[in-house]
Amino acid sequence: MSEVEGASDQLSEVSLDEKQKPASENVENSPSDSPEYLSVTIGATVPTGFEQTAADEVREKLGSQSRISKDRGKIYFDISVESLSKVHGLRSVDNLFVVVQEFRDYQFKETKEDVLKDFEDLAGKLPWSDPLKVWKINTSFKKKKTKRKKLTQQNSINKEKVDDEQGDMGAEKQITSHTVEEVLETIENQDDTIGETPILAYSKKISEIPSAIEKEKGVNESPKEETESQVLKFRVTCNRAGENHCFTSNEAARDFGGAVQDYFKWKADMTNFDVEVLLNVHNNEIVVGIALTEESLHRRNITHFGPTTLRSTLAYGMLRLCSPQPTDIIIDPMCGTGAIPIEGAAEWPNCYHIAGDNNPLAVKRAANNILSLLTKSQVKESKAFWGLPIDAIQWDICNLPLRTGSVDIIVTDMPFGKRIGSKKRNWNLYPSCLQEMSRVCRPGTGRAVLLTQDRKCFAKALSRMGHLWRKVHTVWVNIGGLHAAVYLLKRTSQVFVHPSELEHEKETF
Amino acid sequence: MRAQAGMKLLTHNLLSSHVRGVGPRGFPLRIQATEIRVSPVDFNPDFVTRMIPKMEWTALVEAAESLGHLSELPRQLKEGYEKDEDFLRKVHHVLLEVEVVEGTLQCPESGRLFPISRGIPNMLLSDDEATS
Repeated sequence: MSEVEGASDQLSEVSLDEKQKPASENVENSPSDSPEYLSVTIGATVPTGFEQTAADEVREKLGSQSRISKDRGKIYFDISVESLSKVHGLRSVDNLFVVVQEFRDYQFKETKEDVLKDFEDLAGKLPWSDPLKVWKINTSFKKKKTKRKKLTQQNSINKEKVDDEQGDMGAEKQITSHTVEEVLETIENQDDTIGETPILAYSKKISEIPSAIEKEKGVNESPKEETESQVLKFRVTCNRAGENHCFTSNEAARDFGGAVQDYFKWKADMTNFDVEVLLNVHNNEIVVGIALTEESLHRRNITHFGPTTLRSTLAYGMLRLCSPQPTDIIIDPMCGTGAIPIEGAAEWPNCYHIAGDNNPLAVKRAANNILSLLTKSQVKESKAFWGLPIDAIQWDICNLPLRTGSVDIIVTDMPFGKRIGSKKRNWNLYPSCLQEMSRVCRPGTGRAVLLTQDRKCFAKALSRMGHLWRKVHTVWVNIGGLHAAVYLLKRTSQVFVHPSELEHEKETF
Repeated sequence: MRAQAGMKLLTHNLLSSHVRGVGPRGFPLRIQATEIRVSPVDFNPDFVTRMIPKMEWTALVEAAESLGHLSELPRQLKEGYEKDEDFLRKVHHVLLEVEVVEGTLQCPESGRLFPISRGIPNMLLSDDEATS
């Protein structure tokens, strides 16, 4: 098992258990010296219901098989440490952590006292060293989280640099701060944006950095790690789910955290921590992990928020569900701030995306988000004023100004009635929507992915359109506590005929 | 100075007027542009080849011409265009690189004007104008 860790960042030589391959003899601070064949288990939180989609993305981008946890919204997969940067390129993942240990069938003692004592004892017995190595490598990928006001001050300094050529990846920190700066600049120019995005914007860039990290020795380490006398700050976050636990998550976090503190001699800090230890308890399953993401990635491409902005990870999952093919024309006819088309343009650049909404404010925000995406990709590839395959239009979903059968895919978040619109309006809106969508969608090959909370209304509207739409798959999701569903529909090969032109009753399937 | 994106001709090729009674005669919309932008986009021959069959060719050529970006495109598609890189590059340019930032789109049947402002066409109709 692992050896005792020192208080400093120096990680000592370790011996691994039989399951893992041997590590190199010399384990230092620098990421480039880390054993590249070291295998680790990564845990990822994903939007509930999209575990399979995320697993598909992991297999596609990392070549790893995933385990889908019974604890909904989590998947686990093994990778070699050298693939760590690629993990940050996953678009269906909200948060990432490295697994310290999993207990599939943890035996809880009878009394709270005993259970908590066990948690305390656990701290010293866990195999921390490899996960901590991974944490360290991961930390070197990204700049330490800076206080927001510092970035604001950098605004004026870096503004000049925005248009400079950023061809080589050696200036990793510079690029990171430009991206963040641009995002902030945009935020400051808008009214009701949420300021949590700065750190999120650069997570996309992390996957572009690996070669630079591997070549440079220690150049990209944050200042904190260079001061070896600095003690690490940490906190423990406990998520507990299950009916038969005699303890609360706070109690577990407190006692486990106390033991962790004693073991490592780290300093506890709830807000400004370096290491976030996760203690996830789901019935009899316990997973101890170390967080690899500081804030959720799910708002990554959106800089201009609206009242109901969809998570980027959910937008990605929905798009993936309909398997976009190259050159597919993909529209979101009720795009809001454009979360779905933006994600589409970022991840499926060989398709063509259109963001439409009837609300002028929404369309304006979508257009601004498109511009932000444009700017980001410009910085990344040193392309000033290049375009992306995406446009924004103001239109009415019930009366789309599009040629019949001209669109391949429709992906949209339909009005819920609780956050926007009303249940009564949905009653009329849904059938009109579905009809107009069936008109513009290409017969035979077209498909639609629709998110809605008003399942009853949707089911009723869909039942009258069996000759045009076939329901292929349903994903049950959770949107901010509301139960919703994502429906994957396929367009039948029946050519659209306006109901008024029909001479007889429609046949239903 | 932030660059402004505009409506691409690929999008224009999909747009059709929905004024009541107009039907398929609402296509194609006539473009009048007061501000155009040309921005480079990565050339992808496969994308262009596959997109051409989804386009109404004549309308695309007319639109390009009205913006002064005809680029010697033929009025009719020639056989074997998939292998003609020169041709594909011209189509790529017209589909993706020419953007209308300010202007109007006009319904050819009813004459109704739809404004394009900051690259966003406003296709909303009043209740009277809309198809029932």
